[in-house]
Order: sequence, then structure tokens, then C-alpha cells
Amino acid sequence: MVWFLIAAGLSIIFGTLKVLNLAHGSLYMLGSFCCYQVTVSLAGVPGNFWLAVLVAPLVVALVGGIIEIFLLRPIYKAEMIYQYILTFALVLIIAEACKMIWGTGYHSVAVPWPFKGSVGMFGLSFPIYNLFLIAMGPVVFIGLRTLINKTDLGRNIRAVTENREMANALGTNVPRVYTGVFMLGAWLAGLAGSLWPPVSVVMLGSDMAVVIDCFIIVVIGGLGSLAGAFVGALILGLTTAFGLYLIPKLAVAFGFILMIIILIIRPYGLMGEPE
Amino acid sequence: MTNTLKAFGIMLATAALVAVMGLAPTTVLAEKPPIKIGFIHTMSGPISMYGITSAAGAKIAVEEINAAGGVMGRKLQLIVRDDKISPEAGLREAKDLVLKEKVDFLAGTISSGVALAISGYARRAKKIYMINIAQSTRITEEKFNKYTFRFTTNATPYFGKGPALALAKTYKAKKIISLGYDYEMGKNSLKEFKATYLKMVPDAKIIDELWVPLGSTDFTAHIAKMANSGADCFYLAGIYGGGELAFTKQAWSFGLYDKMKAVQPCAGDVETWGKVKQGDPYPKNALATCRYPFWAIKGDQNANFVKQIREMTGLWPSYGSMDAYVIMYAIKDAVTKAGTTETQKVIKALETLKMDTFVGPVEMRAYDHQAMMPTWYGIMRFTPDLPFPHITDVGKLGAESYHTVEQIKKVRGK
Repeated sequence: MVWFLIAAGLSIIFGTLKVLNLAHGSLYMLGSFCCYQVTVSLAGVPGNFWLAVLVAPLVVALVGGIIEIFLLRPIYKAEMIYQYILTFALVLIIAEACKMIWGTGYHSVAVPWPFKGSVGMFGLSFPIYNLFLIAMGPVVFIGLRTLINKTDLGRNIRAVTENREMANALGTNVPRVYTGVFMLGAWLAGLAGSLWPPVSVVMLGSDMAVVIDCFIIVVIGGLGSLAGAFVGALILGLTTAFGLYLIPKLAVAFGFILMIIILIIRPYGLMGEPE
Repeated sequence: MTNTLKAFGIMLATAALVAVMGLAPTTVLAEKPPIKIGFIHTMSGPISMYGITSAAGAKIAVEEINAAGGVMGRKLQLIVRDDKISPEAGLREAKDLVLKEKVDFLAGTISSGVALAISGYARRAKKIYMINIAQSTRITEEKFNKYTFRFTTNATPYFGKGPALALAKTYKAKKIISLGYDYEMGKNSLKEFKATYLKMVPDAKIIDELWVPLGSTDFTAHIAKMANSGADCFYLAGIYGGGELAFTKQAWSFGLYDKMKAVQPCAGDVETWGKVKQGDPYPKNALATCRYPFWAIKGDQNANFVKQIREMTGLWPSYGSMDAYVIMYAIKDAVTKAGTTETQKVIKALETLKMDTFVGPVEMRAYDHQAMMPTWYGIMRFTPDLPFPHITDVGKLGAESYHTVEQIKKVRGK
């Protein structure tokens, strides 16, 4: 479900800005490192992890805002290929920056109160924190849906997504909406990055491992569709799990196979709309 | 008046300085020139604990040897350089040490990439290079050259063959499920493990092989599969460092360690688990290999070594520190045996070297220049003696855990 948060950010950025942000995994990784940094700096302070979950995504959103304003804005008019090159450059830059600041070692964040321990389910003990993460998926999904469908900000976003020239003509501040959406996407990546460390580790290289899965999710669900990202994340998770049960040796390939099948049958994704 | 006094003072001071400086070379000249050892290691950055403890281990040995009169009346001199885990930097330091400092030996380092770069240079410069940590089997197998010697275990006894031998001696599991990172080392480790183990325990079976993309930190789906697979043991192939830590956290929270036995080759070394406290997730009851279980080795010499490393660095002694210590004594023994520091003669002496170290006898194998350093194994637990989880019920493996000469001949295509 954590992957859904990242995929959702990737998807709404593409939907509105028409930018395929290759550096989205890097923003996630940056979130992880920021979360680690805050928990370490505030070691001993009660609830330090939850503070980190509050602070780290904001830092990442801020970085996202800077990227949008200073780097992406000048090249919207250029060809798509320049965006790929730029965002790929960002992948390298962010990875190197993390390496310079936090080194090539790995860091651990403890499971926070009150989600320590596990509960018995279907004869298998299941960690409570993982249940919390699973619950986070729908919560964020509903939150985002409400934001986009029910608020003024959402209306603006939808207007710009629909037709940027028309929205501009009608008085919507398009550049500001772009920055806002990019920051929202970055914030989601940062949130995922700070929620994940308690079940895993913070280390370099997690950016690429994550971004590939997220691209599969977004392609399955349909680029630009929030519901698609949600469904895509569920499908990918289930495929991997069932793949492991059926043909474990080939489980690594299952996500890709699924993606290829969907691209053949419905090139615009399950929830996407043909252009 | 004051000015003349000042001038006089300066003159006096200068004269004294000149006298001291003039004296210094004559006292040095009275002694024989030292045997210089260029020690290149990763002394900065996040994995510098290996370099720092290794240099300390080498220093302890050098001080002991010099206090006992040196080697053939010559003192050993250690020159430590930082390779910053970069092959370019390592090569540059090696060149500088050989050309400028005129060292007699090169030693050290952790990264196999850096070690291969230095090894190549050692061959061109015709200097002996002694490795204390780098694990890649390629250094002594495909990329072998006669100037390079390794005084540490390599990936074979550590990840694949050693764990298989250890499992056959301990848990003797019958139904094993493997989980590995999908890359060369992961595949090789499992191949090695399978070949050795199935031969020793013929009724055992690898019931499934699971693979995850390299760098992945989400193992939850795999852990669920492992828990329900009916296996009585799992084996981790090529998952170490951060990946191993992530896996262990998840396996721990899903209760996998209570369900089946575990073989986690890398879990035995203090570097991964040294910071883990009681109550934190750790590979409970896992069978692990270890390159220097200092807590399980008897004798004053070992205890003294651990104490000195702790005092010098504030860190637990890494296996690199023990290996570096052994290397300095290997240099002493080989030079004494050869009666010279002349490279070709020392190589001959090293090839037939047999040493008695505080971790037991160590023999050099002439064919691949791989010292038959022991590999230890044991069960991961907490005991009251140490603040971190460590291997207990420790056993020791020797030459049997390495590739045989015939296997290496095959690899080299001879």
C-alpha cells in the first residue's frame, strides 16, 4: 500500500503537468533519509517518529517545489525527451546528495509506539504496523479524492488538467497550480518514504527499486488516474503474492508480464482514458 | 640592547636546531633502514570502521614485532593511506607508496574493486600485495596474479560452502527454501550451497527458490510464502547488509524465526549486528558464519588484542583487524625465512608459509595464494557477555570450506 502513495503522486503529476517524473523514487528515498534524520536528531523525544512523519514529507514537498519552479518550469514547452533527461539527471543528483550527506551505510528506524508487536491472523502472526500501513492506503486515497473532487483547489486542478489554456484564460493561476500539484506529489512520495523505514531500512538504491514497481502500477492502472493507481497497486501486490505461490522462480517477472498484457489489451491502462 | 639580545637568542636557537637536525640523520643511519609496508584501506566514510580497526590491528602487530627486535634487525614501518572506497584513489595511493615512499609491501582493503586495481598494479610494479578483507573469489581465481596474497576468507566459505558444511553439522535441515537477491553473487551462493549440502545430506531437498530484485527492501510477500511453504529451514543467498537488516526486521515481525530454522550467512559478523540491542529484531537462532568471533576464541593473546583494539579505536575488533595483524606476522615470517625483502624470494617463502596465530594455525595455499583462514559458524543468540547478538556454540571450518584446486583450475579454464 505504501507503493500506492508513491504511484498516486507519480500519477497526479503526470495527469496535470504531463511530466513523467523519473525522479519520483528519489523523492521517496529522500523522504526516508529525512525521516531517519529527524528520528535520530530527536532521539529520546516521545513521538519522535510521528514528528518525522510530519516533517520529512514537508521537506520533500519543499524540494519538489524548488524542482518545479526552477528546473521544470523552463522546459514545459520543450519536447518530452528533455523532461526525461532532466528528471533522470535529478535521480543521479539526489542519489549523490544523499550519499554525501548520509553515506553509503544503512540506517534503521524502530517500529513506533503504539504499533509495536503483532496479532495472530489466519494462523500467521501479522505485525500491527503493517496493518496500519495497509489502512493508510485507503485513507490517503479517500483524502485525495475528496481534495480533488470537493474543494476549490481540486476544482482548479481538474480545470488545469482538462485544458490548461482555457483554465488560464478563465483566470486560474496555472503555474501556481502546477507547483502545488508537483509539491503534493512530492509530499506523497515523502510520506511513503517516512512511513516505510520502520519495517525496512533506509539505504541508497531504494529509489530505483521503488520507481520501477510504481511505473508498473501506474501503467496497469492508467497514467493520470488516481483510482487507477489504487487498483494497480492492489493488482501488482496480489500478482506478486500469487506468483510466488504458483511459480516462485519466476515471480520476479510477474509484474512485468502483467504490464505487457495490459499494454496489449488496454494500452491506456485499466482506469485510464484513451487520448 | 634588547634587539641584540633577541638576535643572539635567535642565533642560539637556530644553532641548537641545526645541531638537533644534524644529529638526527646520523642516529638513523646507525640503524638499518626499516621495512616499509604501505597499508591502503578505507579510512573515511560510512564503512571506515573496517579501515580504522584494520589499521589498528596492523599497528599492534608492528609494535609487537619492533619491540621484539624487528625483522633481521630491521624495524617495520607502517604507512597508512585512505582509498575512500574508490579504485582510482586506491591505485593512486598504491603508486605513490611504491614510487615515492619506496615501500616493500602493499597491504589492505575492503572493496574487491579497489583490491583488483591494486592487485593489477602490484603485478606491474612487482610488489607483494596482501589483502585483508576483500572477498571476491575472482581475485584469487580468474584474476589471479602471483604478487597477490589473501589473508582472509573469501565468498566461497563465507556465503555458500561454509554455511552448507555448518548446516550439515548442526541443524541437518531436510526441507529448505531459499531466498536470494537476483544477481551473480546470490545465484553463485545458492549453487555452491546446494552442491555441497545435498551431497552431505542426501535426503535433504531445496523445495523452492525465491528471488527478489537486487536492492529491494520489501520481503513481506516472500516471507508469507516461506512461512506457508512447509520448509523446516530457510537459506539467504547473497542478501547482506541493508537488505539483510530489512529482511530480518520483517521476518522477525511475522514470527518466521519461531516457525523454522534459519541460515543467514552474514549474520555472524559484528559489523551488521553490533548496534542491535536486546529486544530489537535480530536473526534469532539463525545459523551464521563469522570471520572473527573474538568472544569465542580462547587465550590471553586474543583477549589482549581485543582490549587494545577497543582502547585504540573505541570499536569492536572487525575480522579485518585480526587479518591485518596476521598479515604483519606473515611478512615477518616470510622475510625471515627468505633472508631478504627481495620480492621473488619472499613470494617463494610466502607460498609455503605455515603460521601459528592466536586464531589457530594458518597455512598458505601456493596454487591460488589464498591463506586457509578459518571460518567460524554458530547460532545467533543474546548472552549476558555481550550487548549485541552473536554466534554461540561456535564451530570452526578450515581448508575444506574453500574451493578445491581442481575447482579453481576449472574456473581458470586450465
